[in-house]
Amino acid sequence: MEHARHVFRIALVLLVVITAIFLGRGFLVPRSYGTFGPYRADNVAEQMKIRPPAHAGAASCAPCHKAKSEAHDAGGHKAVSCEVCHAPLLRHVTNGTVSGKMPVDRSFTLCARCHRRIQGRPDKFPQVILEQHVTSKLEGAVCLDCHDPHSPKP
Amino acid sequence: MDHAPRPLASTRSPSPPPEAPAAGAATPADPGRRDFLGAAFTIAGGAVVLLAGLDAAASGETHVPPPGGDAYNWEEHRWAYVIDTSKCIGCGSCVRGCKAENDVPDGFVRTWVERYIVGPGGSYVDSPKGGLDGFPPVPTAFTPTKSFFVPKMCNHCKETPCVQVCPVGASYRTKDGVVLVDGKSCIGCGYCVQACPYGSRFLNPATHTAEKCTWCYHRITKGLKPACVEVCPTGTRAFGDMMREDDPVRQTIDHERVSILQAHLLTEPQCFYLHLDMEVR
Repeated sequence: MEHARHVFRIALVLLVVITAIFLGRGFLVPRSYGTFGPYRADNVAEQMKIRPPAHAGAASCAPCHKAKSEAHDAGGHKAVSCEVCHAPLLRHVTNGTVSGKMPVDRSFTLCARCHRRIQGRPDKFPQVILEQHVTSKLEGAVCLDCHDPHSPKP
Repeated sequence: MDHAPRPLASTRSPSPPPEAPAAGAATPADPGRRDFLGAAFTIAGGAVVLLAGLDAAASGETHVPPPGGDAYNWEEHRWAYVIDTSKCIGCGSCVRGCKAENDVPDGFVRTWVERYIVGPGGSYVDSPKGGLDGFPPVPTAFTPTKSFFVPKMCNHCKETPCVQVCPVGASYRTKDGVVLVDGKSCIGCGYCVQACPYGSRFLNPATHTAEKCTWCYHRITKGLKPACVEVCPTGTRAFGDMMREDDPVRQTIDHERVSILQAHLLTEPQCFYLHLDMEVR
């Protein structure tokens, strides 16, 4: 019986280690871990509602801004969504009510981002050499003196 | 006390007994080493089989509903992305749209645009602030013969190096084909940032966790397009569902000549490019 004490001692140590591993695992591994794979499954649903969608698309502007929207849809910028030049709808409307002023950027730099002639743009895309195209001072809303951004001539 | 076993061992070792007599002679208080090991392995093996069985029974019994609830079944979609580089004008609307939609911290981008200016005398590549404020004209020391923009982002690879290196299971690929980062599990070790061959990941300086393009998972699971596709004015970017046969993106991938970035790495990217130049890596 004396030699069996070694066995008991080792069995006890093993038992303690195994219990500690299981308890530690229970504390450290999230509940939903492993449901679909080696990750926390709850995170998938969390990612789906991580934040409300900010961009709502051009169609969402039409109900309130009918005239602007119709002019836009008939012009050369019809493929350019309202939110490209303005801002995501969420900045302006929250839960169906107006919550803030929509930014309006009238500066020539906004137009220049697409239409300034630089290396890289496809040749057929309408673009101008700013310094040659604008004879007056290149500042502020100089583009809007001649062009209507909502419905520019092709 | 600690001398006790020694005489016993020494008395046994000079006369190595044949197996059968030893087993027979062993009293209950003095089992042979062979018997002891045999019994120990039997018990341990039994325990392993029992535990494995319990585990298998537990996982087999429960059927887990998809995480989206009734509104969105991730097993009915497999998302893919097509970028037609010949249409890109380098306006950076996608970069700004992504920032606004996803609250991307200053100095970092989840999607960016690169410009390639190439000629026989050399090549020049730039991406100021990822294209956030568009691109300026640049003087080049050589005479360029072609130049073009290439939008880039997470490729949502099928064989993801980033997911493989994550030591805590914070990175994963969903059943609908989107690679995501669980911010609560991420420990910010940055292995995935280094593992991604496309440079699509970064560590958020505020949360100290890995961050990347999610294909706007909060939008696509509600039937919307990713923000970058929504604001692209030229139709360079397209997003679609490979499980829908009539989907334009699937049609493009099935019928057009598409390429992927760094195909030799066998990561199976799910962003497909049209008109990609060999200069692009």
